[in-house]
Amino acid sequence: MSGKKRKISQYESVKEILNSLQGKTVPSYQGLHAFWLDPEVFITASLYGQRLIAPKANNTSSETKGCCGSKDDSHINIPASQPTKKSDGCCGSQKKSSDTASQQPAISSVQQPPIHTSIGDCWPSGGQGGGGGTHPPVYKRSDQSAIIKGLKGLYPFDGSIFPKLLWDAIATASTDQIQIIANWIDADCPLTLEEENSKKEVHLTTSNNHLALANGELLHPVSSNTTNQDHRDNKGLTIRKEVSSLSPEELGTFREALNCMFQYTDYWQDERSFDYWARIHTNSCQHGWEQFTTWHRLYLYFFEQKLKDYDQDIALPYWSWSDYADQNKNTFNNKEYDLGVLPEAYGCFLTQKGLDQLKNQKTSEGKSILTKKEIAALEKIVKKGTIYNSGLRFLKAAGIPYEIINVNNVAVWSDKIRAIYNTLKEINPLWFPNRWPGSMGPLSHYPTKDDIDVLLSLDNFGDFGGGPSYDHHYGSLEKVHNGMHNFSGGTNPNYPYEGNTKWQKIYADLGLTIDPQNQENPIYGWMTDNRITAFDPLFWAHHSNVDRLWARWQELHNGTPQEMNAVLAPWSMTVQDTMSIQKLGYTYMRDSVFYDVSSKVGLVKFNSAPATISTNTLDTHRKAEIKIHRVQRGNLPNAHIRVFLNSPDATIDTPTNGNDHFVEEISTFHGSCYGGPGHCNLPLDKTRNFDYRQLHHHEPRNYKINATDAVQRILNNGAKNITVQLVIVGIDGKPIDNAIYIDGVSLNFMD
Amino acid sequence: MDNTYTTFKIHPSIGIARLGNTDDDFYLTPEQPGTLPIACDEMGREQKDSKGNPIRVSSFKDSNDLSKIKKQAARFRIFSYENGDTKGEEIKVGGSYNFVYETAVTAPRIVKGKVTDIDWTVHLANKKASWYEFQETNGQQGYAPDHPLRNPEVTQPDLRRQLIIDPGPLTVNLKNNKGAFAKFGSESKKTDTSKYKKVSYPQTFPPSDIQPNAIETLGSLLVNEQEKNIRLIVLGGNGNSGSTKTPVIESFVNNDGWFDDISDGPVTAKIEYTFMDTVYDGDKEKKVKTTGTMDVQVPAWVVVGYPRYVPEMEDMITMDEKMYDLFVRKMAYDPQVFGVPPFTKATNSPKTPEEFDIWRNEAHYNPDYYPKFYKELWPQLRRPDDFKYTFVFDFFGGGDPHNRGTGGNLDYKTLSIPPKNEKDPYYRLRQFVYGIMRKTDQLNAYEVEGNYNLTSNKPRLMPLLCGDNPLTNTAPQKFLSMTETQLFFLKQWANGKFVNECDEWGESNSSCTNPWANPPTTGIGIDRGVLSNVLGGAFCPGGELSWIVDNPAIYSEPYRIKHATYIAGGLSIPQPIANKDGSTAPNIAAGIEPGDLTKYIGIPWQADFHECTFQNINTTYEKWNNIYPESIGDPVEQQIAYNIPWWPAHRPIVVPESLNGSQVYWASGIPNNNAGDLQMVEAWKDLGFLISEGEGITRQFYQVERNNEALGDPVQPGNRVLGQSFGESNKENNSN
Repeated sequence: MSGKKRKISQYESVKEILNSLQGKTVPSYQGLHAFWLDPEVFITASLYGQRLIAPKANNTSSETKGCCGSKDDSHINIPASQPTKKSDGCCGSQKKSSDTASQQPAISSVQQPPIHTSIGDCWPSGGQGGGGGTHPPVYKRSDQSAIIKGLKGLYPFDGSIFPKLLWDAIATASTDQIQIIANWIDADCPLTLEEENSKKEVHLTTSNNHLALANGELLHPVSSNTTNQDHRDNKGLTIRKEVSSLSPEELGTFREALNCMFQYTDYWQDERSFDYWARIHTNSCQHGWEQFTTWHRLYLYFFEQKLKDYDQDIALPYWSWSDYADQNKNTFNNKEYDLGVLPEAYGCFLTQKGLDQLKNQKTSEGKSILTKKEIAALEKIVKKGTIYNSGLRFLKAAGIPYEIINVNNVAVWSDKIRAIYNTLKEINPLWFPNRWPGSMGPLSHYPTKDDIDVLLSLDNFGDFGGGPSYDHHYGSLEKVHNGMHNFSGGTNPNYPYEGNTKWQKIYADLGLTIDPQNQENPIYGWMTDNRITAFDPLFWAHHSNVDRLWARWQELHNGTPQEMNAVLAPWSMTVQDTMSIQKLGYTYMRDSVFYDVSSKVGLVKFNSAPATISTNTLDTHRKAEIKIHRVQRGNLPNAHIRVFLNSPDATIDTPTNGNDHFVEEISTFHGSCYGGPGHCNLPLDKTRNFDYRQLHHHEPRNYKINATDAVQRILNNGAKNITVQLVIVGIDGKPIDNAIYIDGVSLNFMD
Repeated sequence: MDNTYTTFKIHPSIGIARLGNTDDDFYLTPEQPGTLPIACDEMGREQKDSKGNPIRVSSFKDSNDLSKIKKQAARFRIFSYENGDTKGEEIKVGGSYNFVYETAVTAPRIVKGKVTDIDWTVHLANKKASWYEFQETNGQQGYAPDHPLRNPEVTQPDLRRQLIIDPGPLTVNLKNNKGAFAKFGSESKKTDTSKYKKVSYPQTFPPSDIQPNAIETLGSLLVNEQEKNIRLIVLGGNGNSGSTKTPVIESFVNNDGWFDDISDGPVTAKIEYTFMDTVYDGDKEKKVKTTGTMDVQVPAWVVVGYPRYVPEMEDMITMDEKMYDLFVRKMAYDPQVFGVPPFTKATNSPKTPEEFDIWRNEAHYNPDYYPKFYKELWPQLRRPDDFKYTFVFDFFGGGDPHNRGTGGNLDYKTLSIPPKNEKDPYYRLRQFVYGIMRKTDQLNAYEVEGNYNLTSNKPRLMPLLCGDNPLTNTAPQKFLSMTETQLFFLKQWANGKFVNECDEWGESNSSCTNPWANPPTTGIGIDRGVLSNVLGGAFCPGGELSWIVDNPAIYSEPYRIKHATYIAGGLSIPQPIANKDGSTAPNIAAGIEPGDLTKYIGIPWQADFHECTFQNINTTYEKWNNIYPESIGDPVEQQIAYNIPWWPAHRPIVVPESLNGSQVYWASGIPNNNAGDLQMVEAWKDLGFLISEGEGITRQFYQVERNNEALGDPVQPGNRVLGQSFGESNKENNSN
């Protein structure tokens, strides 16, 4: 050790503070005495019923908040089989709505997922208004801890029940001392320096390496954040990605949000309920004329905003149909239904937990619903991790026959099938049971990449997007979209359609009337029926793609719908309002890779780690773009930024002419900044509701560099992955280290 | 300058004076529970020792005459509260405060003034003879139209008002510092130098020939200045009671023709101050010394009671505890104890009647409240042990059920230990103690319910004291229970949710075992300390005050009586009579008048006081006190709870004759019958007082200053001599 002052851990400082406050005499503290000296006691013990350090957030966030602010531990279980009959609503409101027969949902959502768990309140909120609120929007562990409340003299340590902490002490804690303890608690109580360091976030460790990074000596790693967190942190648009590009974490959050929405299924007038959104399509959708594009754009926008309430980094993914065209070639011109291929994210699969759950399910006679053979088959499926494009295909793989039974002359799934479907739906809320993708028709109606290019080449809005009310007709986009609805919904192989003698006999044996609109065993998948299509979660990815194609078309062409002032019910926005997706706050990318850069240090060279991009994206993307995020402007010397790909050793001397790896050189143009003290500082974040001012002069700006050709060149040269380099050159041609300050670099791929 | 005016409050909020028959010798009411009164000079100035602590009196009678009991004076002071401060500080002559200055022609404004004097105004009255008969619990919910009146033959409204003793209000200050609530022209009125003594008032007094003792005064006022503080001293009556008829006592509580000189009434004050005002003479600015007055915004009340013969022994329930329970449950007084989650002041501040309705509907005890052992639990547990010095518990079997010593049921060394480190060795003991406490829904139950050891008697529910009505069949409440809030504290304690103050913050507080070790310095401390020496139940009819204290409507805020407005000579009379000519009828919602708090108490007070020894209570049926099985030949096996005491700390029964002396009947010489009640009208002044010696479990109480010349030598239990029976109370059953 050198002569430097010994660095002590946070916990050491906490102990020192509390020791010094307490002084020599330590009261009983209910037999705990100097509780802070024993970390186990400190972290787990309670002082007269007050937990000294609150348990970790994830332990408490699962705590159920009951109705009307009461802390009710009793969970309300909703039997999945009778979803609309529940009457013990919250504060009587739900009771009212379900008492009224006319408000019974027209479409019962029996196929929505089971609610095995409680309907607690899984949706985040701003806390209860109107008094008695007990659900603060942000849970801070320290705020809930008795040691902090006590030192601050907050209830119940305000003298009403207990005096301020510490008791019988020689001194009271200063604000700073309390903050140190609070920080330690909020860092999850690390006990040693090592623990502290390992708990710090990645960008903190890199902060030590700022200089090495800024000089290109260390590689900037790919950000581990979600795409939308990085773009949001850099004041960028929401990125709707192709569904196959979602990271497991992004996909997980999206599924979690939908699962949460499904918990409110019975409260179908509650905006947090998935049914609320699906039902809007039932009642208000626009098809067969120019509002098709605009209405659905808003529909997706509002649904996505709701999802962002759950987690602000959620964005709707899109389903790029043509990516799956090759695979689907084989599934056409066939004699069987239900052979089509959809994005894997929407398929069904079984997890070990799901299997355990199924194993525990008993029939009314108390027997396991699964046979040993079936269990063995399912165990294999779990092990292999296979994802199936439909529930029927899953059942087939497991050797479980699909069964329906007759309940009051209605065909419904047998208890066994219902149990399996419920489990599958819980595991992946994006999967939908009444979906049998595929078609027996010719391939011509499945759009290939070429078909899409033809579609995008249409040069007027009417042809592309449909006609106005006074000359209404379908646009080509919608026609393609129609076909994909039918493809993804498909035909139910187990429906007693003409020629399906097996199922005709089953129906006859069960004494069932044939009903094409039967809820659980209809003739076609729900995607095929515009009344109920939005109940299938695939609908949203499908329409994101529709919306993306229109947005792409807008980039290429100028046409618009004719009735620009028409209001798009049920919203109060007009056709005009839908003209720019950027203005609505989002954009489409096949995938995006982000590199966080510190703007604390002047950049000399940026050298990235290889981008994590799927081969498919590298093969199929239409455009590649490098974006430099938030380039600062205030009183900085001008400079050039030379952009290279896969040139880790690039320097100021690396040639640009004739270099396949060179992308572009951009120049900054700032000039000098002059004003009072602080004039050239970064502006404040724009957070106020009614701040309509223009972009601030000193707001850092972005550069977008088209790298499509360069990427293609190096891929053609055999590169398997891509790295990005920025080399900063002064306008005098010499290196410069005080000209470029940026917050990030991203490599983006567009379809 | 600060732009908010000062809030002034009189403390104590309810002062207590006590009767006495000395001419001018008196002492001051103690302001801590179970402490001796405070010695003072002839103007009521507190005597202090070298450390500044009050000097206590231990002699309660005239030094030369054991038949003269000194009066206990109620002392009032004014505290100022600035900007939401809750502790307050007593105001002084010359002190400056922000007053509201207002004249007939100027709008109110705030001026910084200096106190020069205080006009104190008190109005005492006695309404007992004009009121309804006391019939136990009957009347708490209002009086039926046919509820009998005392002196029922007086039905003319003006004559009825003559049954009120109303000497009118008195105003005194530093310059006019003596006032007498005496009949104009009487001997007692001659000393009166009060501010408006020449202003006439339609006084009403009993006829001057009532027997045995006439009443020409309800008491007097003094104003003194001590260390620049201007204080009011209120002295009560002389203990005179008399009847317009041949004096006989027929009832413990209602005796027609009788009057006594108990009283109560409002205490208000007006502060006189001076300030330099700016006036203009033409355009010349001049400073002029100006005098203003301002009413004290929060006034007080005074209640006159009978002598406290055992000043250092606390009642099982004190008036402070009784009222605290009410304010906690009905007025959001301590939301951390009882309120709406999260139990903070901020979330429990109802203001309007509507808000109170909602609050009372939703509030409940805080399951996370941790009572403090020495403040909230130990007083309830230690008191019964003291009662062995005023009452013999187990006549036949010995036993020491309230033993506070090692191994006793109520040993603080074990009861005070909360669970520590998840170990709770005394859990079962606490559960046992809590288990035998009578709950508020067990007021008519004698024994613990459930399966206790079948071979022995079931434990009796505690406290084993008489309740609000062990006498009649209207809403019986045979036994006393601790207040709901006290029981809640005990329940938390039994479950291990309590704090031992000495364990946790004892080091910095040498008196951790006694929160009342030092004289209170805050206004609320004085309010509560004074009330802690007043009987808080049972109310049949009670000691100084009756069950009316349980009605939240009589308070303007916790611990403050709501003042009524009334006209001179027009105090209210019972409604059936008031209705005859439109006279003022009682209206609790509008406020309380002079005499309204004490009118429920027995008349004369000596009768009830003498009879409140102990009672045999018929426990055969929970809902009935009086049963008549013989009328139908019902061979029901009757169950009687024998010798259940009323208020052992308030009305002693058997006491040590001297320190370590033998036990004697306290009221020896006064038989336990109506004749004895009548004798008590005179003999109250000859009875002895009890003082204590020692600390903790070795503390003993013993009798002093008994006038054996008048009452004869005291008699020991078992020694039956003429008139000295140790029989039960003959509080008759009032089921007429």
